Amino acid sequence: MPFAESLWGNLVQDLPLLVPVLFLWIVGTLMLWPLGSWLLKSMPKRQWSGITFVVLLVTLVLVFRTPAGQGFSGMFQVDGLTTGFQILAIVAAAITVILSQPQLNALKEQSVEYYALILFSTSGMMLLVGATDLVSLYMALELMALCIYILVGYLREQDRGIEAGIKYFLLGAFSSGLLVYGMSLIFAAAGGKTTNLAALNQALALAPRNAELMIFTGVILVLAGFGFKVAAVPFHMWSPDVYDGAPTPITAFLSTAPKAAALGAFVRLFGTAFNGVHGDWAAPLSFMAAASMILGNIAALRQQSMKRLLAYSSIAHVGYMLLAVLSHDAQAGAQAIWLYMLTYLLMQGGVFAVIIYLQGKGEGERIEDFRGLSKRRPMLAFAMLVFMLSLGGIPPMLGFFAKFYLFKLAIEQGFVTLTVLAFLTSAISAYYYLNVVATMYFKEAPEGEAQPMGSGLSIVVFATCLLVLVGTCLGPWLMDWTARIVLV
Amino acid sequence: MISTWINTHLLTFLVFAPLVLGLILLCLPQKQAPMAKLLGFLGSLGVFVISLVHFLRMGGHSYVENLPWMTLVNIPVDYHLALDGLNFWLVLLTTFLTPLTLLGTWASLKERSGLATALFLMLETGMLGALLAQDLFLFYLFWEAMLLPMYFLIALWGGEERRYASLKFMLYTLAGSLLWLVALLYLAGKSGSFAPALMAQTALTLSTGIQGILFLAFALAFAIKVPLFPFHTWLPDAHTEAPTMGSVILAGVLLKLGTYGFLRFALPIFPGATLHYAKPMAILAVIAIIYGALVAMAQKDIKKLVAYSSVSHMGFVMLGMASLTIIGTQGAMLQMLNHGVSTGALFLLVGMLYDRAHTRMISDFGGIATRMPVFTFFFMVVTLSSIGLPLTNGFVGEFWILNGTYTSAFGWGRALACIAALGVLLGAVYMLWMVKRAFWGAANTDEHSGTAHLTQDLNGREIAVMVPIVVLIFWMGLHPQTFTAISERPVAELMAPFQPDAPAKMAEVAR
Repeated sequence: MPFAESLWGNLVQDLPLLVPVLFLWIVGTLMLWPLGSWLLKSMPKRQWSGITFVVLLVTLVLVFRTPAGQGFSGMFQVDGLTTGFQILAIVAAAITVILSQPQLNALKEQSVEYYALILFSTSGMMLLVGATDLVSLYMALELMALCIYILVGYLREQDRGIEAGIKYFLLGAFSSGLLVYGMSLIFAAAGGKTTNLAALNQALALAPRNAELMIFTGVILVLAGFGFKVAAVPFHMWSPDVYDGAPTPITAFLSTAPKAAALGAFVRLFGTAFNGVHGDWAAPLSFMAAASMILGNIAALRQQSMKRLLAYSSIAHVGYMLLAVLSHDAQAGAQAIWLYMLTYLLMQGGVFAVIIYLQGKGEGERIEDFRGLSKRRPMLAFAMLVFMLSLGGIPPMLGFFAKFYLFKLAIEQGFVTLTVLAFLTSAISAYYYLNVVATMYFKEAPEGEAQPMGSGLSIVVFATCLLVLVGTCLGPWLMDWTARIVLV
Repeated sequence: MISTWINTHLLTFLVFAPLVLGLILLCLPQKQAPMAKLLGFLGSLGVFVISLVHFLRMGGHSYVENLPWMTLVNIPVDYHLALDGLNFWLVLLTTFLTPLTLLGTWASLKERSGLATALFLMLETGMLGALLAQDLFLFYLFWEAMLLPMYFLIALWGGEERRYASLKFMLYTLAGSLLWLVALLYLAGKSGSFAPALMAQTALTLSTGIQGILFLAFALAFAIKVPLFPFHTWLPDAHTEAPTMGSVILAGVLLKLGTYGFLRFALPIFPGATLHYAKPMAILAVIAIIYGALVAMAQKDIKKLVAYSSVSHMGFVMLGMASLTIIGTQGAMLQMLNHGVSTGALFLLVGMLYDRAHTRMISDFGGIATRMPVFTFFFMVVTLSSIGLPLTNGFVGEFWILNGTYTSAFGWGRALACIAALGVLLGAVYMLWMVKRAFWGAANTDEHSGTAHLTQDLNGREIAVMVPIVVLIFWMGLHPQTFTAISERPVAELMAPFQPDAPAKMAEVAR
């Protein structure tokens, strides 16, 4: 049977590329299956997060061991970019899992499906960043998003949670529609022969002149679809409400992992397939970047709720990273985004850990709840201080180096006006980040007693805090690592 | 072994010893605050003594430490510290003022004084690092590292409006330096290095317009720090709200980093643009001189008055530099030291007064001289030096600056020198008027007034703080060469491209 033989041959050749993803699928399915539930029944619910964490660690090891290569008829590829962004997704998921444990315990909402969904979503991200074909890219994006829709609406007893879930689902579905429509237009414009990214680039270059409008429309629609996924202005409307309504660990997840994955795919798609038509999307994307920086930072100024503040500031951070997507040199762009996303992930994870700790005590939602934290919990306040300064990009914190790297690239690529704007808006961001610091340090605390913190949470806080502080010394090492984010 | 290490890595030691000490103090429990203060004082005194001993032995050679640090975005960043004529005395001023301030404000802070001492030492690290750094990226890091300790000093121990003042200080300086960073990145990208010398070569190849924009971005960051006239509004707030130790070091060293930045980086990297923008800079400087003096005259709060006098005095420094003459710049160098010593001392004295009376309003005083003769003596000496009376330090600096401006090759030199000379006069008016109202005349008999609380004259500790300052004031006034000899050559080199016969000379060399 020649067909079966060739199939077997291809599978043997291609499957090693997907080992980490397959591992996640198998474990996730086992967790949901009666068999898995039966196995897990013997242990208390609170240990599931521990198991999930171990699974993610194993996946991380597998990612490191996955050989570079291309497979599945050019649908999936493992290169430096794939590995790098897969690591980001896994780290973000691991942080989320640790954060989830105390939060779900407090809400008495522990369930194995929650963790399984995180695993499936992570596997979607891992596919997404390696996808080298429009079809696989879309499939992976949906796998990632569908799980997150459910996770956002996970607290079904709360109106806010349901609203957030529905809102995210509707807008997400709508943006997926735009994305697919744009992809189909491009497919048609390129002659209807290929969906492979590298081949598309050549096909688009040879496209007849009368297809230009079609290409332009397609590219803009794809841009809009990705704009929704990364919450860039003007496609950001969902993010503050969703951030606010989702369970806090999921907010942390939402602000880091899918953004990292989507930005990775964003760079790959626009850097390879649409590189030839840079002129079509450069101006709209510049507009998106500028608008995100301005609106995100200015809207964050007025927020009273910590989660909404982080939502708006996250829009601004995406705006900065879009500068790197704009870059003519996709590889340098990917490196800058990787570094920025890594630091952002660590800071964001730490901030959310602090919020969750305070939420356990019935506060932490509002910035006012941080009053006098320096007196009540000096170490926690110090950690928060480090995160805030780092998010604000104040040297010598790690966040500064990431920003530096990114803006340096933007200037080299000739986006001087946008970079000046980025610097000015990040000075604005310093205001609201410092405002949180001031609230912690210079306002009197309300009456209340200090509670011990869950051990998992304190690990996240201190590990992240340490990373951000030591980041200055790690600078050269990180730079070396960044150079490995190669786009083949 | 340690002393050998210090011998070979003196600059690294100077920069990081305060930081390490500060971190150690942070770990001490709050109950140990007196211990922390003592350790902080002795440690910083040790740093001063080591720097003094080593520097005086320096002789002809200079200290340099240059190691490759890391490669940032394909641009090498060097850990390059050096001591030369431009920063020699400013470094000593910093190491000198730190223990002095700690001693002078020993009893001012009641709460968490250990933490304040630790922050203060970290601030010293930032300042020394910025003064010594020869690599622009390193300089930038230290420059920004000064912000945080200062922010916390103001925000935690400040007066009523401390949150507003600290945030304003932070955002003002941050906004300026971020724009500067854009220019820095642009230039570093073009030249592939953060070394000023290479950047200067690259800058020459750029078009005049771009050079001008880059210079303005550099100048903005430095001008905010100085602060030059339209960017000065953070200073009075920060000075007034800051605790005494913050004000002293802010006036004493932090502001100088702005003018030092001009001298060290902006002028040599962009000689063309400097020549082009010398006139606006000089005009702003003269506005700062006159405006600062006039506003100071209207103040009711002694500390605010001193803060505005800072604006005026720093205007002189800027004017001397903008004249682009050797004597003007030497005057500016000296005036930086003068201002550091005199204004630092004024803030210390105002702090001592405030510790006793808990008010700084001029109208609350009157007849201080009858209650505190020793304090009055020191205040008078410092006041006269601040005014620039001959024989004190203030006179020499201001005289050289005016001389340089008057004799400069620019057409505007004479007019501006005449206007600026008016500033000297105004300085005498506001200072002496304040002294007359607060110190002389009949004692304020109201029992709630500030004067009524002045039951104790200066104690031994406070006198010990003031004596070295008074000695310095007269030394600098009588023998300024001690302090200017070392900067003669670097300043002459710095100003060489701006001298009227420079193009001809350059052409000769080229031939």
